[in-house]
Amino acid sequence: MFEEASEVFDNMFKSSFPLTFIVFIPAVLILVSPLPAEAAHEFTVYRMQQYDLQGQPYGTRNAILNTEARTVEAEVLSRRCVIMRLVDFSYDKYQKALRQSAGAVVIILPQNMSSMPQDIVQQFMELEPEMLSTETIVPVYFAMEDDELLSIYTQTLTSSSSQGALSAAEVLLHTATANGFQMVTSGAQSKAMSDWAITSLEGRLTGVGGEDLPTIVVVAHYDSFGVAPWLSYGADSNGSGVSMLLELARLFSKLYTYKRTHAGYNLLFFVSGGGKFNYQGTKRWLEDNLDHTDSSLLQDNVAFVLCLDTLGNGDALHLHVSKPPKEGTPQYALLKELETVAASQYPGMKFSMVHKKINLADDMLAWEHERFGIRRLPAFTLSHLPSHRLAQRSSIMDVRPHVDIEKLSRNTKVVAEALARVIYNLTEKGASGDLHIFTEQMQVQEEHLSAMVDWLSAQPRAAQLVDKDSSVVSTLEYHVGRYLKDVKKHYIKADKRDPEFVFYDQLKQTMNAYRVKPAIFDLLLAVCIAAYLGAMYFAIQNFGMLYSIARRVTQPKVKAH
Amino acid sequence: MTLFHFGNCFALAYFPYFITYKCSGLSEYNAFWKCVQAGATYLFVQLCKMLFLATFFPTWEGGAGVYDFVGEFMKATVDLADLLGLHLVMSRNAGKGEYKIMVAAMGWATAELVMSRCLPLWVGARGIEFDWKYIQMSFDSNISLVHYIAMAAVVWMFTRYDLPKSFRLPVTVLLALCVYKSFLMELFIHAFVLGSWTVLLVKAVLTGAISLCSLLLFVSLVHSN
Repeated sequence: MFEEASEVFDNMFKSSFPLTFIVFIPAVLILVSPLPAEAAHEFTVYRMQQYDLQGQPYGTRNAILNTEARTVEAEVLSRRCVIMRLVDFSYDKYQKALRQSAGAVVIILPQNMSSMPQDIVQQFMELEPEMLSTETIVPVYFAMEDDELLSIYTQTLTSSSSQGALSAAEVLLHTATANGFQMVTSGAQSKAMSDWAITSLEGRLTGVGGEDLPTIVVVAHYDSFGVAPWLSYGADSNGSGVSMLLELARLFSKLYTYKRTHAGYNLLFFVSGGGKFNYQGTKRWLEDNLDHTDSSLLQDNVAFVLCLDTLGNGDALHLHVSKPPKEGTPQYALLKELETVAASQYPGMKFSMVHKKINLADDMLAWEHERFGIRRLPAFTLSHLPSHRLAQRSSIMDVRPHVDIEKLSRNTKVVAEALARVIYNLTEKGASGDLHIFTEQMQVQEEHLSAMVDWLSAQPRAAQLVDKDSSVVSTLEYHVGRYLKDVKKHYIKADKRDPEFVFYDQLKQTMNAYRVKPAIFDLLLAVCIAAYLGAMYFAIQNFGMLYSIARRVTQPKVKAH
Repeated sequence: MTLFHFGNCFALAYFPYFITYKCSGLSEYNAFWKCVQAGATYLFVQLCKMLFLATFFPTWEGGAGVYDFVGEFMKATVDLADLLGLHLVMSRNAGKGEYKIMVAAMGWATAELVMSRCLPLWVGARGIEFDWKYIQMSFDSNISLVHYIAMAAVVWMFTRYDLPKSFRLPVTVLLALCVYKSFLMELFIHAFVLGSWTVLLVKAVLTGAISLCSLLLFVSLVHSN
């Protein structure tokens, strides 16, 4: 059969060259010509989180989108791309779209988040964890609002909401005039990023006087978290904690350079990665230090571990502990010093201790100090949040305006004073509560803090986006290296066989909105064109009539000649 | 949008040509190759025009939104070559006036259709994106068919030795109108900022008026002697 076919083709080639042209050129054109990517509108979309943690999948599991747009008001949503604006976003509508097996959800966020009404922001913040709590099969995207996108939304809204009770003629007219939009993403399907390394940084200030000095560990995680990785700037959580840690490092490195103020405590600073994913960076760091090495500061004499988390706002400071410290221990001393400093220097500030036991049955640890608590290290977390459940810690709404530099600097001052009082044992030496240590050239620099927060919140720092070569890590390393000694980078990778965490790519994509018409419109158009061509046929057939009319009109003129 | 949409546009653009060819009796004269020759002449003339434009008319580098009146007028003047080309085609064909006009116009218009509208339709109308401009383009090709028939008729009248004195002026005016029609249209669009459908309507009306005038002139010329 194939031989026959090839014979026919051979003959065709030999017999008539033009025929091959006529046959093959269109065939080649059909096969080759790409469909043009000239879209009505092209915009960047940010995909919802997709990750596995301890074998449990979270977030959206899909990235590919090629469906027609609808708003949630439309009657049929199945296999459509539902677009919503943040202003009218609610969990009910989101669930309704998913229940009706929508093809995708695109949520349009305003260009300027801070101009949004506070209750909407608050409501969305609380919905973020809900949206992520289970896996979603369809892709969920976030887009920034612009005029084009808004016009697409309004056009979709009018066409979606008006398809209720209309007559057939109205529907026909509607299909001819209204625009539909086909939303298409250009990227490939999301896949797991294998060998993704989470980077953590460590640096120290070594104390003086003796071999077995007690160690104080100060920890803050630098990564941010939100419903979409590319939108999570995490200014307060935990940009504020990292900038406080760097400021503390700066202040104590100054103290440790002078012989007279060089104290008998080792200070170990740890900027951890993967903090929002159950403190993966801290976990591995502890394992490495406690199980795999012979000598480590963490093995010997740890006075306490102070974790800094979300400290850039509010008029209260909460010390979260998993076990109330006993009298006589260093952590009890710090608690007392914090109380003293807060009460005597900043009477307007409320300081309190919050006690919460570690719940090992929970999937997620509440605070970073619990990682240390599990390994029996005395630890606590300082935060302005009264509870770990608050949505501020994992929201895309946590942007730069959420950090009040004045408050952050005040908190830094309190922590620095308290730490110094513990290190130099000032209370026992009889120093009063309102003794200011960090004043004049030693004072907390607001510009420094604000520059750090600005820089940290200028880029999304989600754990999926910060790889070991990223500028976030290298700049952090530079800053840590300026003040501290023995700076080390720790990379952690998930186990190949039984990974604790898996991240997925395709988190930022380009989406095209193509203007389309329904299939019925093509049929309608075909009927109209057929009618037009019919009319043309009759007109040309009866051209003689026009000709004779013209002749009759011109006749008298000819006679006049 | 879809292949179906492309089919729609294609039918709208091509069928009037086909109908005209069949109904005007050209098929009975076996004029197909004559039309192809006219098309080849069209290609040649366009090539010459392009070379001429590229050589003597540097690209206009004025500010955006500023209409280069003189430059555009000069460019439209180059379209006079179309008249010469049409005359060339008609002078090489022997036969009755109507026959010569129809062969030249059909070949000319079809060549233009194939050359300048086939590819945009193929590429554009098949894409995902829907745009009315492909339907408009197809309508425009219908208008240009009428335009070329009228133009060929006017050229034919103009080149006749036995053209009466009283016809000389109207024929020359029509000739100028034919050549500068696109220029006038552009001027119109620029002056009144018209929508694309209105432009199409104005073009149709203008072309209709020109062709009606040339029909009247043609009829009176043919039947006056």
